[in-house]
Amino acid sequence: MRYLEPLLVAVGVCGIFGLWEAMVAGGIINARIAPPPSTIAPMLVELLGRANVIRSLGVTLYEVAVAFLISVPVGFFIGFTLAEMPGLGAVFRPVVNFLFGVPKSIFLPIFILIFGVGIEQKIAFGVFTTVFVLILGGISAVESVPRELVTVARAYGANRLQVVREIYLPAMAPVLLESARLGMIFNITAVLLAEIYGARDGIGYRIAGWGESLQMPQLYAALAIVATLAIAVNELLQQLETRLGAWRQRPA
Amino acid sequence: MTQSAVSVRAVTQHFTVEGQSTVALDAIDLEIPPGQFVALVGPSGCGKSTLLSLVAGLRLPTGGTLLCNGEPIVGPVPQRIGMIFQEANLLPWLTALENVAFPLKLRGVPKRERLEAARAMLELTGLGNFADRLPHQLSGGMKQRVSIGRGLVQDPGVLLLDEPFAALDEQTRMVLGDEVLRIWARTGKTVMFVTHNLSEAVYLADRIIVFSARPGRIVDDVPVDLPRPRTFSMMSSERFGALKDRIWAHIRDADH
Ligand SMILES: Nc1ncnc2c1ncn2[C@@H]1O[C@H](COP(=O)(O)OP(=O)(O)OP(=O)(O)O)[C@@H](O)[C@H]1O
Ligand SMILES: [Mg+2]
Repeated sequence: MRYLEPLLVAVGVCGIFGLWEAMVAGGIINARIAPPPSTIAPMLVELLGRANVIRSLGVTLYEVAVAFLISVPVGFFIGFTLAEMPGLGAVFRPVVNFLFGVPKSIFLPIFILIFGVGIEQKIAFGVFTTVFVLILGGISAVESVPRELVTVARAYGANRLQVVREIYLPAMAPVLLESARLGMIFNITAVLLAEIYGARDGIGYRIAGWGESLQMPQLYAALAIVATLAIAVNELLQQLETRLGAWRQRPA
Repeated sequence: MTQSAVSVRAVTQHFTVEGQSTVALDAIDLEIPPGQFVALVGPSGCGKSTLLSLVAGLRLPTGGTLLCNGEPIVGPVPQRIGMIFQEANLLPWLTALENVAFPLKLRGVPKRERLEAARAMLELTGLGNFADRLPHQLSGGMKQRVSIGRGLVQDPGVLLLDEPFAALDEQTRMVLGDEVLRIWARTGKTVMFVTHNLSEAVYLADRIIVFSARPGRIVDDVPVDLPRPRTFSMMSSERFGALKDRIWAHIRDADH
């Protein structure tokens, strides 16, 4: 049973590719807009062999990683602070909620003005986008901690540090990981968007270039690479979340 | 005179919420000798839980003093006083065994040692075969057994139970009541047991403290002169009924 789901997914994907191939061959799909998998696959291999493409991927991964590593502690710290200090929370939580709803892309020109079009700007924009997700995640993580369990720990002699370590952290872990995963999706989106909008390197920059010059096989191959990486990161975080949150699962 | 296991002397507790002050407990005096099983009953909101949290050292009273074995209670001393809550309040990410061991973990007892002690407790509460289950894989009654094990694991002299069986069905409640009595008879602990169930109070206790409605005062102190061990058939005896009637009269009056 455990292998059934991946098998079905594989069959589904192969089916779609097969259909795609057939539709291009039959002239239903224009090969110039959507080249068939048989064209994209070799291009994918070729791209992965090009030093400049690999370097661009490295730049993007670097930006994504640094932005994430900054966003997580900053976002969670702000979230915890707002949740634990009612006065501060009352003032700033509406602000955070309001800013969360604003599409961040409209701020891109300002980020270019401040940071230029280099790596720093991608990181800054990634952090700016991601941090709101993590602030909200941090707040709801604190709120998900059952007060009764804190009382239990105190009744059994826990000091403050022990309350944090034995109650807060395990209780919050699944919620924190969930919002980290969500934040990562926002983060990747933001960095790629910033690269497409204006950059000197990065896979988003390449994609924008191939798109503008209508190099469709390159474009699709790059999309496949980015999608695969993003899915891999997401799956990894999801696995971790499932493992740390096993106790949350109700019996069937 | 032997020293009381728990002394409550002129204890008053006020709560102020948004400028409005309520008196939860009003000058409570109570001496509980070691080994006594005391039930606390009274209308909802009269301060029974508040009194237990004071004895547990979870808060300090507005006025008066509390003593455990003659020493002032100024904070939780879990080695002396074990607390069992209405909802089992197990840590959902720990197994039954680890939950029972939790108080020992807080005290820094090495892992092997504390798990060994916890295993013995699970045997005592009849859950030896469920040591590795997570709380969500246990029934309500089983969870409460784990919670009792957790309360007992440090072998405290005083056990506080705040409506421990209120969320359970009648049969489970009876079985667990007998279980608590069995453990109590074996260990000779002092027990303070809050309940809304008058039959349960009479069946379990040596003595029943009846509270008035808020502000909580003690309106009656009823010795339960039924022989031990208590049996199911005693519940239909005349004496049992008379004790229940006496308590019920106070509670009925308090509500009006
Ligand atoms: N932390 C608190 N802050 C403010 N008021 C409180 C607090 N805890 C208890 N009270 C108030 O004190 C009074 C006594 O509460 P308590 O929980 O001790 O009653 P109880 O006898 O246990 O009631 P029940 O039988 O319903 O459990 C109530 O009026 C309650 O509103
Ligand atoms: Mg109560």
